[in-house]
Amino acid sequence: MTVIMDTSSGIGRPETGGGSLEARNISAWFGSNKVLERVSLDMPANTVTALIGPSGCGKSTFLRVLNRMHELVPSARLNGEVLLDGMDIYESGHRITETRKRIGMVFQKPNPFPAMSIADNVTAGLKLTGTRISRSDREDLIERSLTRASLWKEVKDRLKEPGAALSGGQQQRLCIARSLAVDPEVLLMDEPCSALDPTSTRRVEETIHEIRQQVTVVIVTHNMQQAARVSQQCAFFLAESGTPGGIVESGATKDIFGSPVDKRTEDYVNGRFG
Amino acid sequence: MTMLLEPAEAAPAPETVIEVPRSIDPALPISDKVFFVVAKGIGISVLVIMGAIGVFLGLQSIPTFRRYGFSFFTESSWQPENDVLGIAAVLVGTFTVALVAMLIAFPLALSAALYISEYAAPKVKSFLISMVDLMAAIPSIVWGLWGFFLLQPKAIHVAHWLHTHLGWIPFFHVDTDPNAAPWAQSRYAASAFIAGIAVSMMVLPMAAAVMRQVFSQAPIGEREAALALGSTRWGMIRTVVLPFGRGGIIGGTMLSLGRALGETIAVVLIISPAFDIKFRPLEIGTSTVSALIAGRFGEATSAQLSALLTAGFVLFVITLIINTLAATIVARSRSGANAD
Repeated sequence: MTVIMDTSSGIGRPETGGGSLEARNISAWFGSNKVLERVSLDMPANTVTALIGPSGCGKSTFLRVLNRMHELVPSARLNGEVLLDGMDIYESGHRITETRKRIGMVFQKPNPFPAMSIADNVTAGLKLTGTRISRSDREDLIERSLTRASLWKEVKDRLKEPGAALSGGQQQRLCIARSLAVDPEVLLMDEPCSALDPTSTRRVEETIHEIRQQVTVVIVTHNMQQAARVSQQCAFFLAESGTPGGIVESGATKDIFGSPVDKRTEDYVNGRFG
Repeated sequence: MTMLLEPAEAAPAPETVIEVPRSIDPALPISDKVFFVVAKGIGISVLVIMGAIGVFLGLQSIPTFRRYGFSFFTESSWQPENDVLGIAAVLVGTFTVALVAMLIAFPLALSAALYISEYAAPKVKSFLISMVDLMAAIPSIVWGLWGFFLLQPKAIHVAHWLHTHLGWIPFFHVDTDPNAAPWAQSRYAASAFIAGIAVSMMVLPMAAAVMRQVFSQAPIGEREAALALGSTRWGMIRTVVLPFGRGGIIGGTMLSLGRALGETIAVVLIISPAFDIKFRPLEIGTSTVSALIAGRFGEATSAQLSALLTAGFVLFVITLIINTLAATIVARSRSGANAD
């Protein structure tokens, strides 16, 4: 897939489709502790890829490698390549801010900027990346982003209220809207529903369904049903006693859940361990 | 006897039940009780000592306030031998020195704190933290000597430059000819400006430490949120760290202001005492409340002593108010609260 990127701002980009992401032989360390070993995974454009596996198997680390959040930890190192539309994001000369703008992230714990209003939270990414926008475009963008995150109806009359005033589930959808507002090609989600109640969880899952036409989604989840509901392809991570984590099996979600090849995958998706 | 034998059914059943919360015994173990009592005792004793100082100074001030009344605050000269004294000039001098100190210390402390908490590599970070702490451990007499012998010969040139180029602003004016060569004993020496630089070095570590601590508490989730949106590090600092740390910035600045107002020995060493009300920090001569007390304490008669203690009382009240305000601001802000 070829996307002609307007590198000065992602805002003008028509919401045509997401980018393809490919991880090649990713290894990752924290200090001398190797947590991932030669993980390769293809995440095609406009699909939802779920990363599943027990705690501590390196799936969150893998996710953070994909948009260069891994290197924020001082002792963190890595090897391998991450290709976004065929270009290695770790190659020198690629600006880290540009990469993170193109590959957005939603975190486990909702983290809106508490002092900012709901509207300002949505447009925070523009301000942070120095993107100027006219007042009417800004209002359009706020409505469009909140609608895509299925939050618009609930907050349209209180856009001036602080983001911290929302419930946990609403805060998480606000964070999704904030990520979508900079129009990323890929959206990484690190257990986005683990702190949410079932209703909010369902709404986030609906949002994922709706946005995948425009954005490639990679989601880490501990919830098997969620992985089965939202994803088209699935990768099962495992770190066996003391060894670094890696992918045991990956493929179409219906195959991983219906007819897994590896015994360990079968045990895990059927809830026999983990 | 008869009361005891009264039949039970004689008491009518109450219509409405009045609920009283039952008392709950915290049932603390002995070790907790001992700790509680000791901690409470020490906590109270701090307040008692503080209060006792205030009461002592207040009582000592009564004769002076009776004698001079409100003119104690408006009179600028301090001539106990002529029965004329007041703290107008020294109060102005105190605030001028403190203002200069804060103008220099604030940007330095803020940048140092930001660099240490946000940019420095881990090893550099711990080294810098201990260096800043070490700065706080330098005795004020040493800062005074540094200011007098090392800083002053250099600072008079800065003062001269400021006067030459910005002298049209009253704050930078010096009552002398700017074209005269600045030499060591000129009108630029022994000024509030030079004393203020020395004081700024003393208050900088405290301000930097308070700011650094609140900056490092800025929530990691919000930091990562900003960075994941494609923010630069400075953008993240402006959006997350500085708003979060606002209380600490204000509080740390005011705490150091409180200290700058009371700083004595370095000021005594550097300034040449003068008792006119002026806002020209670059010019020779000023005085502060604490420098006045230190300078006159030795040869004071009992009436003069009361007057000096009164000056001390005024300073005590001012710093108490400033520190209380600072503590309130820190406690009310997000950075003071335990943000999750």
